[in-house]
Parts: sequence; structure tokens; C-alpha cells
Amino acid sequence: MPGFGGALARLFSFQAAWSYERMGGIGFAHSIEPALRALEGGPEGVAYRQAIARQASFFNAHPYFAALAVGAAARAELEGTAPEKIMRLREALCGPLGSVGDRLIWAAWLPACVAVGLILVALGAGLWAALAFLALYNVVHVYSRVWALRAGWSRGLHVAGALTAPGLRVANAAAPPLAAFLVGAALPLSFGWQLRSTPWPAFLVAAAGAAVLIVAVRLAATKANGAALAALVLAAVWVAGLLWW
Amino acid sequence: MTTLETAGVVAVGTLVGLDLVSVPQMMISRPLVAGLLGGLVVGNPVAGLGAGAVLELFAMETLPVGAVRYPDWGPGSVAAGALVGARGAGALPSGLLGVVLVVIASAWLGGWLMHVVRRANAASVTARRAELEAGDFGAVRALQWRGLARDAARSVALTAFALAAGDALSLLFAHGWRAPEIVAHVALAAATVGVALASALRLFGHGRSLVWLAGGLGAGTLAAVAWR
Repeated sequence: MPGFGGALARLFSFQAAWSYERMGGIGFAHSIEPALRALEGGPEGVAYRQAIARQASFFNAHPYFAALAVGAAARAELEGTAPEKIMRLREALCGPLGSVGDRLIWAAWLPACVAVGLILVALGAGLWAALAFLALYNVVHVYSRVWALRAGWSRGLHVAGALTAPGLRVANAAAPPLAAFLVGAALPLSFGWQLRSTPWPAFLVAAAGAAVLIVAVRLAATKANGAALAALVLAAVWVAGLLWW
Repeated sequence: MTTLETAGVVAVGTLVGLDLVSVPQMMISRPLVAGLLGGLVVGNPVAGLGAGAVLELFAMETLPVGAVRYPDWGPGSVAAGALVGARGAGALPSGLLGVVLVVIASAWLGGWLMHVVRRANAASVTARRAELEAGDFGAVRALQWRGLARDAARSVALTAFALAAGDALSLLFAHGWRAPEIVAHVALAAATVGVALASALRLFGHGRSLVWLAGGLGAGTLAAVAWR
């Protein structure tokens, strides 16, 4: 892919100009631009300007997997594919790329890595906990962007097939259970770590308090989030602490 | 905290704020890392990491999904890490209670400011529609940079707010507090783990994932008891 390095670097700022009007469209045009310079006539040519105009239109997907669409659209532009086909490709990819990224990265890999970090903090790993979290998360993060851009470019208009790649299927099946297990393991360890120097009765009071808060969050459902309820509880505790006899 | 350290905290908070959405999304904006970075600026990274780990439990319910308005925990966590780090052994649980409340408020404020930034970005796009439709890459580049500048300004404001309010409130909380410190300690642990477990149930509380979550909770409880 011409301009691969430039496009990859720009993909890291894919959402810098995110807006309610075109969502990630501006970031898409910014990322694909290094490849479009290879169009006939170069950056001064008509083909280049028409391609920029097309690629700056509405686009929304997971920021890491958007690279798949950028690679595919770049190939389609350089092969002289009809503009309507390119626009249809972009539109068709929004939903699937958003869904794969949200499910795999935001709802599984990120919580799994956070859980590993919290477990390591609880076990006394100190600074290594944060470094391990960053390293673990970003191996997959950076690999996803590189793989997606390459796969998009190599498959072009047939890019949808990349979403059924064996590696992605395995990751989709394995990541949610792994994340669920690690998050489950991290919570009691974090609880124990926070109360490591307190007596057992305090431990039990805190566990009962946590249980009450969980029920409250479940009951509040869409009306209030957990942090807002926790803030109310902590503010009430503070008032109680001030009025302590 | 010296003036230089304060400037350093705001600078780091700005980078962390940019990381959430704009660039590079490598998750230095998670409280676990942001707290550590805040502590690092004032020379006490371990205390910052501890504050970050507490805040991370609240942030577990935040998934940075595209168009949704979600809280921004990063800049507040940098400020919290720096405040706790600067006080060192003198950071009392009652004071931490105040810092946590400010970070929750700043996370909410950060989400609202992100919404403002996105509306401003949309207005800029509308103003440059003719140039965009003519395929002017200069307009694309200008929109990218303006988006980054707006997000940076948002992050500066958020870090400064969290630092100033967190400092004031943590002192107020620690001085006015008359109950034993263990009360604040227990309340914080209950609140953080309660919120985190409620988030875990929302994410994984169905089908096969629920079994894995329950397995993890069991294994974690055994490990916590053994470790204690």
C-alpha cells in the first residue's frame, strides 16, 4: 500500500475531529490521504480531490478496526473503482466494524487488561502492574491497527471476508470468557488489598455495603450510573463523619 | 506541590485527556496509569498508583464507545495521583474521600465537555462544507488540528479543576472529619467494589460469561483470603 506508514500513524488520531455531523469522516480522509497521493496527477490532480471529498463524508466505526475500511477504500480508489461502489463499501462497513471492535476491544480486551493490572496491584507488583497493563493492552491495540490496514488493502472490495478470519473468530470466542474470569478474580483481590490492614468486622461491614450498592445500581438501572450512586453514598458518609459524636 | 510540579501535573493531565478519544488511545487515560503518572510528577508514583487503582474500580463501568457520552476519568486521576503522592503518608482515607468525590465530578464534567467539543467540531465542519466538497485536504487537516486543540483545552481545564478542587476538598474533608479513619476506609472499599461488581454484572452477567465471572469471583476470593 503506498503511504502505509503515514496512513498507519494518522490512524492513531482517527477520532481527533470526531463530530456529530460526520462522526469519524474527517479522520478517515486524514488517514487515507498518504495513499491517495499515488492517484493519477498526484495531490494537485482531479482524482485526488474527488477522492478526498468522498472519503471525508460520514463514517463511524470502532477506531482500531476503521483501519480495515481505510485500507480497502484506498485500494478501491487506486484501482479506479466507481465512486458509488466506494461509498457503498464505506457505508456497509460501519456497522460490522463497530460491532466487532466494541465487542472484542471495549467489552472484552480492555476489561481483561484492566483486571490484570488490578490483580497485580493487589498482589504487590507496584509499578509493574501499570506497565503490564499498558504492554498487554497495546500489543493487541497496535497489532489490530496494523493487521486491519494490511487486511483492508490486500482484500479491497472483498474486505468483509477479513471479519471472518480464523484469528478474529478465535479471539471473539475466547476474549469475553477470559475477561469475565479475570474481572471476577480482580474484584475480591482489590477488595482485600484496600482493606488489608483492617480487622475482620470492618471487612464484613464493607462487604455488606458493597452488596447494598450493587442492588441499588441494579435497581436504578438507566436512571443513574454506579459512580453517581457511589458519590451520593460517599457524600452521605462524609456528612456522617462530620457529625460524629 | 511546587509551581513546576503543578505545571507538570496539568501537562500530563492534558496528554492523558487527549488519549481518551483524540490521540493515541493507548489507555494512559485509564486511572490505573493516570494516577501513577500524577504520582510520578510529584516523586511518589506508588502512592499515585494506589489512588489510580481505587479510581479504576469506578471507571470499570466506562466503555469508550463512539457516539455515547461517557465520563473522562483520566485528568482527574492524574490530579488525584499527584495530590495523594504529594501528601505521602499524610494522605488520610477521609482526605481521599474528598479527592474521590472530586474525581467523580470531574469525570462527569469531562464527558459533558467532550460533548461540547464534538458540537464545536460539527460547527467547524459545517463552516468548511464547501471546501470539503471540493476535496480540499487543507480543510481536512485544519479540522483535525482544531479538534485536537479543542480537546487539549478541555483536558487542561479538567486537570486544573480536579487539582484545585481536589486539593481544597481533601483538606476540608480531612480537617472536618471526626469519625475514626476506618469509617472512610470501609466506605471507600464498599463503594469502589460495589460499583465495579455492578459493572461486571452488566457486562458479563448473562449466559456463559456469567459462569466465568462466578468462577473468577470464587478464585479471587480464595486468593484474597490466602493473601490476607
